[in-house]
Amino acid sequence: MKTEVSVDTVVQIVQSIFTTMMDLEVTTIDLPWQPTGERLTSSVYLEGDWNGAVSLECNGEQACRFAGQFLSMEPPDAVDDDVRDVLGEMANMIGGNIKSAMGMDIRLSMPSVIDGSNYELRVCGSEVKDRIGFSFVGGSFWVTVLGKEGLKPGTTSASDSSLVVM
Amino acid sequence: MDILVVDDSRTMRIILLRAIKQAGYRTLTVGEAENGAQALEKLRGDKPRLILSDWNMPEMSGLELLRQVRASNDNIPFGFVTTEGSAEMRALAKKSGADFLLSKPFTSDDIYEAISPILE
Repeated sequence: MKTEVSVDTVVQIVQSIFTTMMDLEVTTIDLPWQPTGERLTSSVYLEGDWNGAVSLECNGEQACRFAGQFLSMEPPDAVDDDVRDVLGEMANMIGGNIKSAMGMDIRLSMPSVIDGSNYELRVCGSEVKDRIGFSFVGGSFWVTVLGKEGLKPGTTSASDSSLVVM
Repeated sequence: MDILVVDDSRTMRIILLRAIKQAGYRTLTVGEAENGAQALEKLRGDKPRLILSDWNMPEMSGLELLRQVRASNDNIPFGFVTTEGSAEMRALAKKSGADFLLSKPFTSDDIYEAISPILE
């Protein structure tokens, strides 16, 4: 049986990842999406019973801050491979948890990371279903769900228990 | 080598190593591999007490690694640490011989809960 995730579930997933992996509290904000300047977008693609993508987008300074927090080190001065790897892993976690919450037969791609100043992410045949702005002490970022099917409200919880012994 | 950590993300390998130490296993030796194929290479020389593997990796997935380990009659305890924790994947992991599946995000307490029954 197909289930779809609500925006609330996506928000819970993002907050859980930031709290657990980076000890960062994040809250949603009503901030218009303004893709200007140098920025990074990390994405994972979902293919199967539901097709689309999940992306995380922020500027370079915030990405460096995330990397520092994630790896428990001083934030790098500039975007490097570690920063891209952290951003990719964050998108991977968000996408993987959304996939699990959907409860459908979906394959998850490896994460990819784009950085630059003049680009737009498009997934053929998909449209932006939700773009959620988040803020934390260091700034703001966006999580975007692109898909061919709508996200309908409130059908699943954020996640099951994290550990399952076989 | 006590634990072999298999993940294509250097970030996640660092996080796992740190979580293992924070879980109280500071003296254990931990090896690293970037994918299933590299892990099999390492297993030819050294048998760890536990393999912790990502699921979704280039070249050889964690599931294929598990299948090859079990096909060689190797009963090394094997746990997945993955973003994907759906019921179907858990069932597939169990059927293929995994000992546990820990979904990301995780804490060092989660790691302790997962690995302590195997290591102690």
